Amino acid sequence: MKPMRKLLFALAGALLAACSVKVLATPQAPQPATTQKPATNVPKKASVDLGAQKFQENCGRCHNPPDALSPREVKAVVQHMRVRAMLTAEDEKLILKFLAP
Amino acid sequence: MNRVFAILVLGLLFAATSLWAQSDVPILSGAVAFLGANTGGVPTYQPVIAPVLVAPFGDHWLVESRGEIQGFIARQDGTTGPYSGQFFASLAYLQLDYIANSHLTVTVGRFLTPFNIYNERLSPVWIANLQDSPIIFTIGTRTSASSNGGMVRGVAIARENWILNYTAYASVLTNTENLQSGRSAGGRIGVFLPKVGFEVGASYQRFLQNGDYNATGMYAVWQPPQIPLDVRGEYAYSPGGQGYWLEGAYRFSTSRDMTNWLSRVQAVARVQQYFKGNPTPQDLLPSANTNQFDIGLNYYLPHNVRLNGSYGRQYSTAGNANIWNFQITYRFLFPAWPGGR
Repeated sequence: MKPMRKLLFALAGALLAACSVKVLATPQAPQPATTQKPATNVPKKASVDLGAQKFQENCGRCHNPPDALSPREVKAVVQHMRVRAMLTAEDEKLILKFLAP
Repeated sequence: MNRVFAILVLGLLFAATSLWAQSDVPILSGAVAFLGANTGGVPTYQPVIAPVLVAPFGDHWLVESRGEIQGFIARQDGTTGPYSGQFFASLAYLQLDYIANSHLTVTVGRFLTPFNIYNERLSPVWIANLQDSPIIFTIGTRTSASSNGGMVRGVAIARENWILNYTAYASVLTNTENLQSGRSAGGRIGVFLPKVGFEVGASYQRFLQNGDYNATGMYAVWQPPQIPLDVRGEYAYSPGGQGYWLEGAYRFSTSRDMTNWLSRVQAVARVQQYFKGNPTPQDLLPSANTNQFDIGLNYYLPHNVRLNGSYGRQYSTAGNANIWNFQITYRFLFPAWPGGR
């Protein structure tokens, strides 16, 4: 029983550590556009426009978009669609930027 | 041992809370709908609730599930007698996905059988433009439209102007109530041309029970980028029968401005032809050649509510019928973890 208990503790610890690393590594939400310098907005706007195009091309193939998505919902929705609509990692990132700039 | 288990569960809950508090918030989505139909003079009503749970764990792991509770209310003798109802619960999918990279996602669990596109992409009650599934829907999706087993899928090749996607799966025979699946294996391959909004693909399934047989299919989707038009179609063949459907849906305005009533209206039309083979009762295919057309209107109200109604005429050597359908659908989506929207 003891080795089993140690194994379970180790597993729980490893899971906690892995999740903590993930939390630390989670990128911060982008600053509102008004606090950024205009020059940095240009490529960001371009990627948002490209994201809109990717959204229309991929998601619109099957359904109309919902009326609104909150920033907390976007990650799960887009990951769900990545599997369903077989999006590439690059398209997923662009659509994420479009939905939650 | 119980203490260790409790610590483990607490640890996982703590980790999940930390994780979901950041960005990996699970969502509860889906729809509530009420369907009314009159098929050949027989009225039926179907209340439906179809919740979808999606829980991401980091960038690579995802748990997805969709259930369905559906009622079926009809008159005792079809056209006469008191109404009585039955309720059914089913699990469309409950799957664990590992998203390795753009080229490979590995799925285990219960998943929608990836034959052609209707089952995976268009069948949810909040997506389908017409209530009734196509006649050929059961080809390639026996026994329950879901499979229990494993699946790999992804983008094989991605170029600027074309994308080649694939899906391959194997399923085991399951007779457990509400979790039925057939023993089968198959796959689908598709080419998507994003610049012109066109996708074409083909499906294959080897059904490995009740006398092995093959089902094959083809599909096409076209959405011209400058016009609010959707054109979709499928062809499917099995020894039980073969057929096709072709559907067009036109939204009267490209604008998504919901203050303009015209932008909320979508006209839909579908034609179908089915040619009988040697169907068994398990095939759930008509026992006679059948042609059908449907025309309908969808009206998108604010707050994710949709009304739709349609009329169809079915021509069959077993008898012709008028088909009237009406549906109201509310599509919901919210975080399934405390913290507001």
